[in-house]
Formats: sequence, C-alpha cells, structure tokens
Amino acid sequence: MQAARKRLLDTLSHRTPDRIPIDFGGSAVTGVHVSCVAALRDHFGLERRPVMVHEPYQMLGLIEDDLRVAMGLDVTGVFPRKTMFGFANTLWREWDFRGLTVLVSNEFRTTVEPSGDILIYPEGDLSAPPSGRMPLGSAFFDTIVRQPEIVENELNAEDNCEEFSLIEDEDLAHFKSSAETAQASGCGVLATFGGTAFGDIALVPAPFLKNPKGIRDIAEWYMSTASRQDYVHKIFERQCEVGIANLARIHAAIGDAVDAVFLCGTDFGTQTSQFCSVKTLRNLWFPYYKAVNDWVHANTTWKCFKHSCGSVEKFLETFIEAGFDIINPVQCSAAGMDPKSLKSKYGDRLVFWGGGVDTQKTLPFGTPEQVRGEVLGRCEVFGTGGGFVFDSIHNIQAGTPVENIVAMLNAVHEFNGVTIYA
Amino acid sequence: MPDLQKLYDAVLEGDQKTAVAVTQEALAAGCAPMELITKYMVPAMDEVGRRFECEEYFVPELLLSARAMKGSLVLLRPLLAESGVQPAGRVAIGTVKGDLHDIGKNLVASLLEGGGFEVIDLGADVAPEKFISAVKERGANIVALSALLTVTMPAMRTTIDALKQAGVRDQVKVMVGGAPVTPQFATEIGADGYSDNASAAVGLARSFVRPE
Ligand code: B12
Repeated sequence: MQAARKRLLDTLSHRTPDRIPIDFGGSAVTGVHVSCVAALRDHFGLERRPVMVHEPYQMLGLIEDDLRVAMGLDVTGVFPRKTMFGFANTLWREWDFRGLTVLVSNEFRTTVEPSGDILIYPEGDLSAPPSGRMPLGSAFFDTIVRQPEIVENELNAEDNCEEFSLIEDEDLAHFKSSAETAQASGCGVLATFGGTAFGDIALVPAPFLKNPKGIRDIAEWYMSTASRQDYVHKIFERQCEVGIANLARIHAAIGDAVDAVFLCGTDFGTQTSQFCSVKTLRNLWFPYYKAVNDWVHANTTWKCFKHSCGSVEKFLETFIEAGFDIINPVQCSAAGMDPKSLKSKYGDRLVFWGGGVDTQKTLPFGTPEQVRGEVLGRCEVFGTGGGFVFDSIHNIQAGTPVENIVAMLNAVHEFNGVTIYA
Repeated sequence: MPDLQKLYDAVLEGDQKTAVAVTQEALAAGCAPMELITKYMVPAMDEVGRRFECEEYFVPELLLSARAMKGSLVLLRPLLAESGVQPAGRVAIGTVKGDLHDIGKNLVASLLEGGGFEVIDLGADVAPEKFISAVKERGANIVALSALLTVTMPAMRTTIDALKQAGVRDQVKVMVGGAPVTPQFATEIGADGYSDNASAAVGLARSFVRPE
C-alpha cells in the first residue's frame, strides 16, 4: 500500500496510483460545511467537541486528523493566515451557530439584525461597515457589496489593487509552520496562498477590506471585463507581478513541501454556457495565467490547480495551454461536461480534481444507493490511468444527509478495494 | 430629426451615453415615447437576447445593453405614465429567500423590461411576503422566481403556497427559472411556466398576457 502523499503525486503525474486519492477539506472549494463535519464526527463516533469554522464565509468546518483518518482521506490543506473577512483564526471561542455550538476565531465579530440576519465585520472591526450577511435560514454568509460611486474618468486601477501587496513576515511564518504540519501528516498537500485569482467574483467585493475602493459591484465588474478592459488589464498586471513575487518568497520559505497550489477560483461557467468568449479568455486572462503557471513550473515541483464551476469544456484547451495541471470541480451536470468525453479528450493532460458525485441532485436528494451507483460510475470513468482526485462537485453543502456522504465515501473505498474500519 | 437607428445600435452595443443622447434628441424633436420603445428598443433587446442565446453575447454584453436601455427608459417612463400607456404586463421578480445569486435574475428582469414589461425588481433573498405585497399593493400580474441553489429551490414552492394562502394565486401567472430548476420541478410546485434562459423568459411572459 502506498502512503497518501505518494498516491496523490502519482495521480498528479498521470501514473496509476494504488488507489484513487480522496480530498475533502483540502481547500475552500473542496470543503465541507461545518454542520456536515459535525454530523460526520458523530457518525464515526469521534470525540464530541465543537468543530472549528476555519473558513467563515462559506462556514466550512476543519477536518481534523481523527476525522480525516475515519473518512479515509489522502489530502490535507495549507490555508492563508487570514480568512475571507480579513481576520486571522486566532484564539478559538465557542459560538452558537443557530443551535449548533461551533468554534470561531476570536475576531469573528457579528451583530444580529431585527430580521434575524447575522452581520459580520471586516477584520473583526465592529466600527467598520459590515461586509457579510447571513440571512435568517441561510447557512453561510453573502458578501455585502460596498460600491463607492463610480466616476468614469476618475477610475484608477490602483484602487482595485489594495489587496495585492507583498505578504507580511507573519504570513510567511504561518505558511511555513502549516506546510510542516501538513507534510508531517503523510498526506498529499493542497495549498492556498491567495493573490492570484484574477477577478474571482467572490473576491471582487473584498469582504476582507474595511473600505474597498474601485470597482466592487458584481454587475459593474462583469461589465468592466467587456467595456473597461484596459482598466482590468492594469489590475491583473499588478496582481500578477505581486502574486509571483509572493510565490517566490513562499517557495523560498517552504520549498517543495506542498504538492498542488490552488491558484485561481474565478468561475467562468454557468449551467449552460460561459461568462465570456474563448477570445476574451485568451485576451484578458491567458497572459497572466501563463505567467504565474510558467513561474511555478520553472521554479517549483508544485502542480497548478484551477477551479471553475459550470460549463467550461470550451475553455479547457486554453487552461491547459496556460499551464494549469488540474481542473476542479468538474461540474458534470453543466452543459458539455460529460465525464466520458472529458476524460477521453483531456484525461492525459489534465487532472480532474472533482466530479466524483453531483451536488445539485444526487448527493443532497438521492438515496444512498443512487449515490453509490453514481460514485462507482465516476471512479470507473475518471480513475483510469491516474489523473483523478476524488471530490464531490464543490463543497458539501449544509443540509446534505450524512448517510449520503457516508455512502459516497464507502463507494470510493469499495471501488478502491479498501476496508477503512474493519 | 435624429437618426433613430442610432438608438437601436446604442442599445445593441451597450452604449448608454449614446442611447441617452439620442433619446433626448428624439424627444426634443417630438418623437412619441412609445414609438421609440416599440420600434427601436424592444427590437434591439430582442436581438441582444438572440445573440446571448447563440453565444455571441455573454453576461457582460447583456448587462451593458440592459444599462443602455435603462438609461433611455428613465427618460421615457414618466412620459408614458402621463399619456396613460399601459405596459405589456407588470412583473414582480426576485431571487427567492436564502439565495443571493442574482446575475441570472437581473438579466431576465432587464430583458423583460426591454420587452415592454414593467418590472418590479425585489432583489435577492426575497421573502414570500414581499411577492405578495407586490401583487396586492403594486398590481403585479406576473411573479418571476429565480433560484440557483438546490437548498433554496424549496423556497419557490413556499412562495407559491404563500401566494395561494394570501388568496392572490389566481390573479397572477408564476414563472420560475435558474440553473438547477427543471420543467418537471416547475410543474411539481404548481408554476405556470419555466424557461432556462432570459430571452425565452420574455416569450413566456408575453404568452401569459396575450389575450386568449
Ligand atoms: C456566479 C456564481 C456565484 C456568485 C454569485 C454572484 C451573484 N451575485 O449572483 C458567488 C461567487 C457569490 C457565488 C456564491 C455561492 N455559490 Co455560486 N455559482 C455561481 C455560478 C458559477 C454561475 C451562476 C450565474 O450567475 N450564472 C449566470 C446566469 C446568467 O445564469 P443563471 O443564473 O442560470 O440564469 C439564467 C437561466 O437560469 C434563466 N433564469 C434565471 N433565473 C430565472 C428566473 C425566471 C423566472 C426564468 C423564467 C428564467 C431564469 O435565465 C438566466 C439567463 O439566461 C454557478 C455555476 C452554475 N452552474 O450555474 C455557481 C453555483 C450556482 N453556486 C453554487 C454554490 C454552492 C454557491 C455557494 C453556496 C458557495 C459555495 N460555492 O459553496 C455560494 C452561496 C451564495 C448564496 N448565498 O447564494 C453551486 C450550487 C450547487 C447546489 N448544490 O445548489 C453552483 C451550481 C456551483 C457548483 N458547481 O456547485 N456563486
């Protein structure tokens, strides 16, 4: 039997591993909602203790060593020091998350509206305008758009670059110690360093900043990708320069301790189409993607991980040419994303990290038997010849029945011929 | 008399400045507001919808055209109201409770507006009561619901049920859409129509208000 890390490395190099590696919790796009993490801990009979919300925006729960072993996972994550709301995860304290006791950072500061909506504050600063809202009945935060008035001829790309600066020594120390811990676990390591997302629509409103300037509204941003391309190029140029400088500093500190880097989460796909043409992708994004990925390949052993939801088959050739090695979450339910044709067309050049089970229908609403059937089918198709890391299509959402999550894990283990707990 | 073809082009190309300027000139020259809408803006937005459907246009282009159209409509709407012209129908649209995905909903709203409907945009994360008051107090005769998350799809059913409870279900047609929604689901929850894209949503709304 191979060790988990070797299994991931073989997979990423398109060699057949002894079995398909599994990732849950390695990144904020392959995560599990805190309520599901709690349910899984109960299911496996692990010590009852509140789960840490390590990613407050989507309310993702930390998968600790005991649960990772129980679930039979092969990948662990390295995360930035600061969360989406700009505070660090320091000094955990208990928080009553609508009936579920969880652990949050001491700087996770909220207020409750008369409507029952919960507001959260950037950098934990209650005197700043709130940057996130969790509506009553919802299970995660939405960003609050804070768009200063736009005066066309006063727009300055610098204003959109506040978040792109050289990382601090504290961040570097954090990456170093996290990478060491991750490596000591024996797992494969997926790292998120931040700063190279290029227009990820979840980051455009900058929920981590107290007073974001520039273009921060979602529709305004999308329009800018068509009508203000010079402005967007200026932002991306700066972001690219700073991003590579940071990667170089991080690499100098941690070396090849991590195996894959989640570089970009910009979603290009909708259920049936894309957010732009291939031409726009090539003109506006490709040069920066290529610069970052080329740097990574020339200087490190890291593999480049790209996330994009939706229907992106038409973009895969460009992603490959730009140097991405891995695509996630492989939303097979979207147009043109049929597993068989994806694998046969791109399987030798692209690692599919995701696509293991549908999260729009099967996982939340199917029976455990339907989940098993779909998982076995996907492992069969994607697993051939390596190049497949098992993960559901995007994070496991609140409300997903724990029996289905367990049925999913058992099916991968069944395919792998593994008995996890004898 | 300004060249009104420029209004059509400006909307199609998403050039708000020109759309507004041509509209102002046209009004100054005595053009009928309704004619500007029906002869130039509606056809332009129809063409925008067509291009979106066949992937010549994408979300950014559609948003730009919608903004150009709105810039012009701001000038025309008060004049229409004065002259007592009725809109094709009055649509209350929103993304249902618990869901913030509003890009698709905004596109549908814009194309409906471009198609001659009056649109009451209730925003995202909209509670059923808000739809009810839009019907009762603002006379909406079409309710359009959008949902992008499987966890919020049930809120579509809840909203339709709430319309029934409030006794206004018969006064309105309900249409639903959004990535995870299927025609079967639409039927199951008792909606009157479904479409998987913004341009077909306009056709659907037109079919609702067409005299039988
Ligand atoms: C952009 C996006 C976001 C943006 C939203 C920004 C915004 N203000 O809207 C951000 C990044 C903030 C976001 C956040 C999240 N998202 Co999101 N998101 C998407 C994405 C990539 C595209 C959606 C989109 O805008 N499409 C473009 C528009 C034009 O298309 P559309 O909405 O489908 O609308 C068209 C038609 O459906 C129709 N239509 C729409 N509404 C209506 C209404 C009527 C009446 C009619 C007739 C027609 C109609 O016409 C429109 C135009 O043609 C989808 C991927 C996908 N497959 O769709 C995921 C997706 C919807 N998100 C998803 C998730 C899970 C989330 C999060 C929970 C975070 C997470 N990833 O874990 C949060 C939750 C936010 C919240 N509280 O709602 C999942 C949902 C899965 C599920 N099981 O339900 C998807 C499917 C991604 C995935 N691969 O899993 N997301």
